[in-house]
Amino acid sequence: MPPNAPSSHLSLNRVGLQRNDRWLFRNLTWRVPRGKVVAVVGSSGAGKSSLLSCLAGHLLPDEGDLSYECRERQRHLPRDYQKRIGMVFQHFALSLNSTIIDNVLCGRLARHPWWKTFLGFPRAEREEAWRLLHDLGLESYAHRRAGEVSGGEQQRTALLRALFQEPDILLADEPVSQLDGYLAGRVLGLLRQQADERGCTVICVLHDPTLVERFADYSLSLNPQDPEGWRVRTVRPVPHE
Amino acid sequence: MSEPTPKTPRHGAPQPPPLRELPWQARINASTLSLVGFIILALASLGVLGGSGRSLDTWGNLTRFIGRFFPPDLSVVDDALAAIGETVQIATMATLFSIVLSLPLAAAGARTLAPRGLVLVVRLMMNAIRTIPSLVWALIAVAIVGANPLAGVIALTFYSMGYLGKFFSDAFESVDLTTERALRASGASRIQSFQYGLWPNVRPLVWSYALWMLEYNIRSAAIIGFVGAGGIGLQLHTYQEYYQWDRFATVLLMILLLVSLLDFVGERVRRQITRKPLGD
Repeated sequence: MPPNAPSSHLSLNRVGLQRNDRWLFRNLTWRVPRGKVVAVVGSSGAGKSSLLSCLAGHLLPDEGDLSYECRERQRHLPRDYQKRIGMVFQHFALSLNSTIIDNVLCGRLARHPWWKTFLGFPRAEREEAWRLLHDLGLESYAHRRAGEVSGGEQQRTALLRALFQEPDILLADEPVSQLDGYLAGRVLGLLRQQADERGCTVICVLHDPTLVERFADYSLSLNPQDPEGWRVRTVRPVPHE
Repeated sequence: MSEPTPKTPRHGAPQPPPLRELPWQARINASTLSLVGFIILALASLGVLGGSGRSLDTWGNLTRFIGRFFPPDLSVVDDALAAIGETVQIATMATLFSIVLSLPLAAAGARTLAPRGLVLVVRLMMNAIRTIPSLVWALIAVAIVGANPLAGVIALTFYSMGYLGKFFSDAFESVDLTTERALRASGASRIQSFQYGLWPNVRPLVWSYALWMLEYNIRSAAIIGFVGAGGIGLQLHTYQEYYQWDRFATVLLMILLLVSLLDFVGERVRRQITRKPLGD
């Protein structure tokens, strides 16, 4: 891990969540190591998106507690940690009337006071966003409205917005659901790179088992039939474990 | 050709249950209730069609009155054009001021953005403003600043605020807040998430309503001159007072041209602005 990597990690202690009077998962206990890629898997309705919402602080768990620990060894609740959590939403949550590049730049809003972004973003950040767009083959769409591009392009834009935030934790809800095999590989490669080079912990919902095997360090599977039947599996061996 | 035979269920396939129709009470909804209410109201309003009850030469009155309009006196075209220019200026300034004043008012009146108590107060205020007709606003403004175009600007500013405030509030409430919330969650301030998450989605609606209001104000500005608030209405009023119906007809004709032009251009521009992106 690089020396200046963010040292945050996530602790789940007997976490349980219920929706519509049904437990999605219970007694979920796990310390997620820093800088690793975790794939959340499970059939539809298993609670994968709800788990991500819980980790992002958008939903409160019904039992147990979860917290993030940053390099000062301070523990934070997800709600107090949101600036350092990047989120790729299942339905992207893009501003459809704004351009692709502006949507990506929105990832940096929290770094500036409002009066600095009121008339736009600094030139250096616009160039940085342009480079990211280029990396994912979106540079020719940079000045088009997000509502005018395809679902796959919107999905990549949503991912780039989260990456542009340079988060310590990246939560991605099915980040490659609308991409073909080649682009899915590129996107997940980018997430892998974030984990390896920046020490960013990536937790993403994935459906394709081959992608899980190729890119994840761990898989966390949820069982819709048994809330306590969750299982953590090491996909690729971690040297220090 | 043989007659088509009804399809018989395949051997062993379960018979579907008989069709169950909804009882008539279940079919009553707001639409049918309001339609019935409207019909009752129309029947109760038949009395107003009785007129004065005297036998008047209605057709003769109409042809005599319309006949005085022709031929229109085109010598007043230059004066009418200048007055139309002033009318457009009054409407433009009033629309500008009303947009600026309505935006914060609308945000405070949007249920999705402001606390309930504030929404109630602001909506009541906007309702009250809308209740007062533009002519009454013009009378008030003329009483305050005298009979001049400024009175027209003041009158139409207040009148438009009631409408724009409501339209903008509805626009704020109608847009999806997901993006705004996502940006808030990533640490953006309230102003930033409004500017980058909400405003881009609401901007086409706001601008479309603003253009509609400009059109409407130009029409209204042509009327409020009747009470001295400047513009072409003042000229119309003068010709009416002196029974110069041929000149009156010229001014009317020019108002008609202006309004048709506004309809033609305004609708196209607004349609272009509110064109939905594909992803919506």
